[in-house]
Amino acid sequence: MITVRNLTHSFGEAVVLDDISLQIEDGEWVVLAGPNGSGKTTLVRQFNALLEPDEGTVLVNGRDAHEEPVAARTSVGMVFQSPRDQFVAATVGADVAFGPENLGLSHEEIDRRVEESLAAVNMGGRADERIDELSGGEQARVAIAGALAMEPDHLVLDEPFTGLDWPARRSLLDALDERDAAGTSIVVVTHDLRDLFERADRIVGIADGSISFDCPPERAREKLPDIDVRNPD
Amino acid sequence: MLTYSPGETIVHRLDPRSKLCFQLGFAIAAFGSPTIPRLFGLFAVGFAVVWLAGFTVRRALRAYWFVLLVLALGPLIAAVTIGSPWLRLDPALASLRSVTRIVPIILVSAAYIHATPIRDTRAAVQRTVPGKAGQLLGVGVALTFRYVPVLREDLRQIQEAISVRGGDSRSVRDRAGRIATLSLARAIGRSDQLAVALQARCFAWNPTLPRLSFSRMDYLVVLCSVLLAVTVLLPLETLVLFP
Repeated sequence: MITVRNLTHSFGEAVVLDDISLQIEDGEWVVLAGPNGSGKTTLVRQFNALLEPDEGTVLVNGRDAHEEPVAARTSVGMVFQSPRDQFVAATVGADVAFGPENLGLSHEEIDRRVEESLAAVNMGGRADERIDELSGGEQARVAIAGALAMEPDHLVLDEPFTGLDWPARRSLLDALDERDAAGTSIVVVTHDLRDLFERADRIVGIADGSISFDCPPERAREKLPDIDVRNPD
Repeated sequence: MLTYSPGETIVHRLDPRSKLCFQLGFAIAAFGSPTIPRLFGLFAVGFAVVWLAGFTVRRALRAYWFVLLVLALGPLIAAVTIGSPWLRLDPALASLRSVTRIVPIILVSAAYIHATPIRDTRAAVQRTVPGKAGQLLGVGVALTFRYVPVLREDLRQIQEAISVRGGDSRSVRDRAGRIATLSLARAIGRSDQLAVALQARCFAWNPTLPRLSFSRMDYLVVLCSVLLAVTVLLPLETLVLFP
């Protein structure tokens, strides 16, 4: 479970998050929707202690994320908006192995995690391929595999569908459905809600650093225009 | 662009420690007296290594074009004299022989980069150099190998962005200023993204390093490296091959 209590974060004098409280249960699928600059990315970067709040706390599975960042980063897998920003190795297998290697796991355990993570995103048997020779959709799936290799309880994806064509988007959604079925909670940060209404348990609308609404998808439809987010067709 | 490419060549299969050892032996051999027979020998070995790595000389030279350009300036500068006769051939030839020996070193290093995963290089460095120094060196080498191609790609994109909007018509000074400023901004941005990515994935100075193992071929390569290094001591010109 991820619990955010009275979180405030500023960049200089600009208050990006203003007294936000939120809870994400295990196994839940939550969409954080909001226009550009609303504070969505700043919020999710607190989940695994990539940013430190000015005020408030973030608890991941009951432990303070900023006091125990490694535990938080192991429990919360983060997939960045641009997969290229996340890659730290040249080949698929080396990049997916990077996280487990940092945890000091045995070679056998690392090999198992790499194999299973790649299989989970339909990239099995492609560990030796160069990342920069993959399509955008494949790169997005490798980025997810890199997060899955940490065996997180929660998977956070920041604008995962940006720049993806329909087949790549479909393939990414299939991979997320599999993780959902496996019991991983999924948090998707986006302003593009196509295909997410039928999947999400809740939609949390964020505007100007505050939560505007937090409700089931069917009730969110009427509220989305209020925060300048388009309803999906 | 020169980066690691997966493959099954003999050079790909070698342990990175033996490959590093070979580069060291080869560099020592190259920095011996730059006689013509020795240069021929160095080029022959350099070409052979590139071929064995499944790489091409053309791609290796293209990857290092800027270094080659700088090297080419050496003989030109050496030829110039302040005052009459303004140009002298002998110093230029001596300089040419000196800089020419760098080219086969470049070929061998290009073959290494092409055939060695970055994390294997990190593992080789950290296992060879003990303690914090090895960790620092290993991480430094790994990050350099990983990010130089990314930064070069950024530079190429900046040049293209300037060209497609008619920027080629501007003065060299204007273009150079823009490229320098934008490249620096991108590099800072990249390093920021890298820091966040490393944090998010629990970066550790002493992670589980990939398995490395020496085969018979690796021992042979190490032996060749030692032999190459000691050729510096041999007067090759006295051998029958090079009377």
